[in-house]
Amino acid sequence: MSNQDIYVPQPATLLKKQPMTEYETFYEFKLDSGCELGHGPGQFLEISVPGIGEAPISISSSPTQAGIFQMVVRRVGNVTTALSKLGPGDKVGVRGPFGTKFPVDEVMKGKDILLVCGGIGLVPVRSAINYILDNRRDYGRLTILYGVKTPADRLFAEELAQWKATPEVTVLETVDRGDEAWDGHVGVITTLLPLVQINPAQTIAVICGPPVMYRFVLKELAKMAMEDESIFVSLERRMKCGVGKCGHCQMNDLYVCQKGPVFKYSEIKEVMEAI
Amino acid sequence: MSIKKLDQAALDTWVNKLIANQSVYGVQAKGERFAFGPLSKAEDLRLDYDVTILPPKKYFQPQREDLLEFNAKGEYTSVTETEPFILFGVHPYDVVAIAQMDTIFSADNYDVHYMTRRHNATIVACDVQNASANVFAGCMNTATVTKGFDLLLTKIGEFYLAEAKTPKGEKLLTDLPGGLEPGNLDLARREQVWKDNTGLLRKHKLKCNPQELPGLLEKSYYAPVWEAKAKLCFSCGSCNLVCPTCYCFDVQDDVNWDLQSGKRTRAWDGCLLKDFAAVAGGHNFRSSRTDRYRHRFYRKAKYVAEKLNQIACVGCGRCISACVPKIANPVEVFNELL
Amino acid sequence: MSKPKLAIFDFTCCEGCQLQIVNLEEEILNLISLVNPVEWREAMSEHIGNYDIALIEGSITRPEDEEKLRRIRKRAKILVALGSCASTGGVNKLKNNFDLQEVKHCVYGQAADMPHLHTAPTKAIDEVVQVDYKIYGCPIDRREFAYIVRCLALGKSPEIPDYPVCVECKLQENICRYEYDEICLGPVTRAGCGARCPSCATWCFGCRGHIEEPNLSAAKEIMVRYGKTFQDLKNRMNIFGSKQRYADE
Ligand code: SF4
Ligand code: SF4
Ligand code: FES
Repeated sequence: MSNQDIYVPQPATLLKKQPMTEYETFYEFKLDSGCELGHGPGQFLEISVPGIGEAPISISSSPTQAGIFQMVVRRVGNVTTALSKLGPGDKVGVRGPFGTKFPVDEVMKGKDILLVCGGIGLVPVRSAINYILDNRRDYGRLTILYGVKTPADRLFAEELAQWKATPEVTVLETVDRGDEAWDGHVGVITTLLPLVQINPAQTIAVICGPPVMYRFVLKELAKMAMEDESIFVSLERRMKCGVGKCGHCQMNDLYVCQKGPVFKYSEIKEVMEAI
Repeated sequence: MSIKKLDQAALDTWVNKLIANQSVYGVQAKGERFAFGPLSKAEDLRLDYDVTILPPKKYFQPQREDLLEFNAKGEYTSVTETEPFILFGVHPYDVVAIAQMDTIFSADNYDVHYMTRRHNATIVACDVQNASANVFAGCMNTATVTKGFDLLLTKIGEFYLAEAKTPKGEKLLTDLPGGLEPGNLDLARREQVWKDNTGLLRKHKLKCNPQELPGLLEKSYYAPVWEAKAKLCFSCGSCNLVCPTCYCFDVQDDVNWDLQSGKRTRAWDGCLLKDFAAVAGGHNFRSSRTDRYRHRFYRKAKYVAEKLNQIACVGCGRCISACVPKIANPVEVFNELL
Repeated sequence: MSKPKLAIFDFTCCEGCQLQIVNLEEEILNLISLVNPVEWREAMSEHIGNYDIALIEGSITRPEDEEKLRRIRKRAKILVALGSCASTGGVNKLKNNFDLQEVKHCVYGQAADMPHLHTAPTKAIDEVVQVDYKIYGCPIDRREFAYIVRCLALGKSPEIPDYPVCVECKLQENICRYEYDEICLGPVTRAGCGARCPSCATWCFGCRGHIEEPNLSAAKEIMVRYGKTFQDLKNRMNIFGSKQRYADE
C-alpha cells in the first residue's frame, strides 16, 4: 500500500512563455526533479497555481522532445488567467500525466493519418503530429485539417507553415469567417473533408475540437467509409481530480480522466453522454 | 473472536471507559432526529435510533477537509489526520456503505486522506432496533451484516450481545467489565433479531431482486419517469449529500491573509447540482435536470454497481426523507421501471 | 506591490453590511493589511483619482443616486455590490409592489410631498451600472466577505455559490423545515450563508436572492404536498423576492 498522496503536485518551472492569440498563450516548463514527464501524445496534466487552484491542461509537446513539456492554454478561468500572469522562473505544481494516449505506438503505426482539429483541439494533437514527424518512417501519409473561427485564432502558425512544407504531409485550413488578409478556405471544418482523398482501410482518423464539432465530422467520415474502429476522439470533460475519484468527468459509466480523454469511437458510440 | 453478553449498566460503564481512553463518536438525539457526534458520556448514546440525518461517512470524508497546504514558496504538502477514534452504533446498511467507499478510495489510486481516517477508526456496528420511516435495507440485503465492522452489538431483550469481528474489536472487549458468556438461547434470540430485521426494514418494497437492477436500467434510459420526476427537482443535491454511498467532491484553494500560503480543501459535491459537469469556459456537459436526475440512479444501480459488483444503494432511505419535492425514492423509481 | 485602494459607498440601506465588516474584529486588521481603505467623503472628491475596488452598499431609490453611482463606476476598476439591497434590491424592492405616492404618504404622512422626500422605484446596482461581483446576503456573511476580498486582492474571481441553501443546510445536518410543515425558501435561494437560518431552526427568507435557474414551478407545485397554497409561497417570497427576475411566475 502506497502512502503517497495522489493529490500532491510536484514542482515545475516556467521556462518560456509566448502569446499565441488574444486568449491563448504558449508555455514551456521543466520538472524541477529533472525527470522526464513520461507522457504520451493526448494525455493531460493537472496544473496548480498556489492559492488560485488546479485545472486540467492538455500537453502539447511530443515526448520526443526531451527535458521539457509544453502547453497552450486559453484564458477562461482562474487558473488559466493566473498562468498568463506568470513569468519565466515562476513555479507551478504538476500532477500527471493522466489519461489515455493517441495510439501512436499501436494502431496508428504503418497507417495513413487523418487529423481533424477545431480551435484549441490542435493543442493535444500537436503532440501526436510532432511525434509522427519525429518517427516519420513509421507512418504513411499525414493529413491535418484545421478549422478556427477567424484567422486571428490560428494556433502554431509557424509550425503549420513548416508542416505544410514537409513532404508527404497535407495541411488544409479553414476559418468560419475570413478577413481581408485571408485568402484560404472559408467554411466549417466539415467542408474540408470532401477535399481530401483517403484510403479508409489504410487510415486512422483523430478528431479533437469543441463539443459541437464531433457529430458533424463523424457523419462525414462515415460517408467516406471510415470504420468506427479506425476513428479516435479526444473528449473534453471537467477533469477535477484526474484520478477517478471526484466524479466530475463522468460520461455515463466512464471516467474520462482514466478511460479517456482519447477514446476509440466504436467504444463510445453507444455511450449516450459521449457525443 | 469472542462474544459477550452485557446489560445496559455494563454497556454504559464500558462506553464511559472507552470515552476516557480515546475519541468516541456515537449516535445522539438532535431535536426529533438523530446524528453522529462526539460522545461525552454513555447516557447520551442512543442505540435505539432509527436513522441518522447524515451517514457516518462524514468521519472518513468530512463535509470539508484540508487536502494540502502550500507555503509562500509554492510548495505543497499533504495534510492527513492521525487520531484514532471509535465510531459507535453504525447500522448494518451504513456498514455496507462504508465497505463500498473503502473500495472506491483504496482501489486504483489510493486516497491517503480517506484511508488514513479509515484505518484510525474502530467501527462498532449495532443492529437496528427501530426501523425508520423510509428504510428499505431489507430489500437490498443490507438489513444485517457479517463483515465490515470491528464489533457488532445486537439488542436481545434487556441485554446486548457484543461480538468482536477483528482484533481491534477484540481489544475493545478487553475493556468490558464483567461481561457474561452468552448461552445458546441468547444466540438464537440474536438470530431471530436478524431474521426479523430483514423483514421489518422494508418500508418500501422493491418488486425485483437488486441483482436485476443493472439489467433493468440497461433498457430504461429513455423511460418517461426521468423527465416526469425531474420536473419537480430543485437541483439541490440533497439526495447526494445525505447518501452514504455518494462521495463526489469539489476541490478549492483559499489563501491566508499573506495571499501566498494557504490550503487546498475538498468538500462534498453532488451530481444533481447544476454546474457539476460544467467546464471552465462555460460548456455544461449535463445541463438538463432530467439528465442529472437520471445520472444518480444509474450510478447507484448500474455504473458503480457494475464496478463493485454490488448495488450502490444500501436502502437507508435518507434520500427519501431529505428530498423536499419527494422524488428521490429509489424504490418508487425502480418499481415504476419494472 | 502597492495595496489596492478600496472605497465603500452606501446608498439606500440599513448599513448592516458595513457593520458586518466592522464585526470582523481582529480579521479587520488583516483586511487593512491587504487593502488601502479610502473614506467615503475623500473617495467622492475628485482628486482621489481612481479606486481599485469599490464596494457599493444599498439600493438605488432616487434619480440623483443613479448619477452618483455612474460616477463611481467610471472611477472603479472593480465594482462590487455589497449585500442584498445592492445585489438584488432586497427588502427595498417591497415598495415597488405599491403605488409610490401611497408609499410616501404611508411612511412620511403629511410631510410626504416635501421635495427632499421624492422617491423612485427601487433598483439593484446592476440595473444602473455594470457590476463585477455580488456579495449576497442580508446581512453579508463575514467569512464569505473576507474570502472574496482575499480573492480580489489576489486577482482571482471568487467562487460564489450558484446552488441552493439546501446544500449547506444538509452539510450542517439540520432537520429540514418542511418536516415541520414550514415553507422554506432554501431550495430556490442562493447558498453561501452556511444555511444560517435553518441552522437556527427557522426557514430561509431567501435573502440572497434566487439561484440562476430556480425551479419555481416545482416550488409552486409542491405546496399542496405540504398543505399550503401558492399564495402562502408568494407571501413568503415577498420580503426578499419582490420584483425579482422570476417574481411573477
Ligand atoms: S440512494 Fe438513497 S436510499 Fe440509497 S443509499 Fe443513497 S440515500 Fe440511501
Ligand atoms: S430547511 Fe430549507 S434549506 Fe434546509 S434542506 Fe429544508 S428546504 Fe432546504
Ligand atoms: S476527474 Fe475526478 S473522477 Fe475523473
